[in-house]
Amino acid sequence: MSNAHQRPLRILLAKLGMDTHTVGITIIAHALREAGMEVIFTGLKQTPEMVAAAAIQEDVDVVGISTLSAGHTRNLPKLARLLREAGAGDKLLLAGGVIPEEDRPLLEEAGVDRTFTMGSDTRDIVAYLNEWWVQQLAADA
Amino acid sequence: MDVAKELLSGTILAGARAIRWLDDGDPRGARTLAEIFPHTGNAHIIGITGPPGAGKSTLVNALISEQRRRGRRVGVIAIDPSSPFTGGAILGDRVRMGKHTLDPDVFIRSIGTRGQAGGLARSTHDACLILDAMGYDLVLVETVGVGQDEIDVVALAHTTVIVGVPGLGDEIQAVKAGLMEAGDLFVINKADRDGYEDTYRQFELMLHLRAESKALSSDDWSPPLLRAVAVKDEGIAEIVDAIDQHKAMLQNTGEFGLRSAQREREQALTLTCTEIMRSIRQSADPAILSAVEKREIDPYSASQLLIKNWQEGRGT
Ligand code: B12
Ligand SMILES: Nc1nc2c(ncn2[C@@H]2O[C@H](COP(=O)(O)OP(=O)(O)OP(=O)(O)O)[C@@H](O)[C@H]2O)c(=O)[nH]1
Ligand SMILES: [Mg+2]
Repeated sequence: MSNAHQRPLRILLAKLGMDTHTVGITIIAHALREAGMEVIFTGLKQTPEMVAAAAIQEDVDVVGISTLSAGHTRNLPKLARLLREAGAGDKLLLAGGVIPEEDRPLLEEAGVDRTFTMGSDTRDIVAYLNEWWVQQLAADA
Repeated sequence: MDVAKELLSGTILAGARAIRWLDDGDPRGARTLAEIFPHTGNAHIIGITGPPGAGKSTLVNALISEQRRRGRRVGVIAIDPSSPFTGGAILGDRVRMGKHTLDPDVFIRSIGTRGQAGGLARSTHDACLILDAMGYDLVLVETVGVGQDEIDVVALAHTTVIVGVPGLGDEIQAVKAGLMEAGDLFVINKADRDGYEDTYRQFELMLHLRAESKALSSDDWSPPLLRAVAVKDEGIAEIVDAIDQHKAMLQNTGEFGLRSAQREREQALTLTCTEIMRSIRQSADPAILSAVEKREIDPYSASQLLIKNWQEGRGT
């Protein structure tokens, strides 16, 4: 009975801390909306605690963080831990923005499922999410 | 996780999941609702509606703070439009309510309209029941930015707050036509803006006309007209006072329970109609439809045939 059309993927998009680079997150939000997803936008200056709480209230499938002003090696692992502790560790955690290659192993280890950095094609991001969502729906059926 | 049991004891994760199921039309949602329904009927449902950009979310943010000051637990359902083309949505009302995210006694949920007209989402009613069952004292329902005939929230809420703003120009006509008859409380937000006095007078006049046309009805509530600067928390306590007075009036007259009862009755009928429509569409004989396409049968006669076939198909 459920299919991707009746059950749009819900994703929360946020920025942590003092990072005010808004271009990337805005482009992503619109691309995902165009792809039929429900994007919950929580705004700037969020803390990992706020993102975790909002992600649970909204029952999103995916949490996406846009990070261009460093701090990601600290706040992304913290967010992943908070989600796990709150019983929401099954949500997909994505990050994008300025994330140096050498930080990726640490982030992956901490529970960030995938990173998309500068120059990523939004079509690839949409395709990645659609593929993941189809698998989730199939597993749930 | 036993979602129904958990949400009745207030677990956010469970309540959030139940709302998701109901929004998605997942059968687990209806099963959960059946279990929690006996525990509903307590929350005061307050609709916040008005044109796009009137400051509804900003006002809701300020109203949450004031309600929390009064010791109440607050649920919020914020509705934004889904794209009619892709079904996707950007739900951004929360941005204005960020300071309440970490308050364990505030639950905010964003919902897309998913094709529903009328200013609400199809699942809004169900989401209100879930928050009610979770023990929130009140539920603030922010509609999408509305025009004149998107007033479904009136049937849902005990108390409807209409938010206007200075300088609506022609839009005030729209507000007049549909919303003026509907509201229990009128707030002119952005009272710090030019044109506030004019707008206030226009609203005053329209409320006066409304009072005259309702003079013969038994409705003895005269809707207050209030001012607010939501961004500066001005006028907020007065709005909550008026909301409380309206609730007290509803309770004293028995209207509170009546409105809830009527809402559930209507919901039962709406669900029935939706299901029957789906069933008729699904069972419609393609031969009859193609005869209409070829102009061999007119649409009226075809519809009689389709209904007859549908009833027979169901053995009635
Ligand atoms: C424009 C810009 C600004 C503008 C921002 C305007 C605005 N409103 O956004 C202004 C001038 C204000 C600004 C200010 C600053 N900036 Co600046 N800025 C940039 C610049 C040139 C481009 C950023 C941009 O908009 N890119 C275009 C978008 C589309 O790309 P994107 O954000 O990367 O997004 C793409 C992907 O990363 C991905 N993505 C992004 N987010 C997400 C999220 C999810 C969930 C997913 C799936 C994908 C995804 O998808 C997008 C599409 O491909 C970058 C340089 C650079 N090469 O990135 C520096 C840069 C980010 N800034 C930098 C710095 C240091 C600053 C300042 C601190 C001071 C300064 N030197 O100017 C200030 C302070 C800002 C603050 N408080 O956060 C540094 C950051 C260094 C670091 N992280 O180590 C950079 C890298 C420049 C540099 N090389 O030094 N900046
Ligand atoms: N000057 C002034 N601006 C306000 C006031 N209240 C809200 N705003 C601004 O009006 C804009 C829209 O506010 P929102 O609260 O998002 O309005 P909304 O009615 O929820 O908008 P939609 O949900 O998109 O229909 C924001 O930029 C607010 O800061 C106010 O009292 N005075
Ligand atoms: Mg809003």
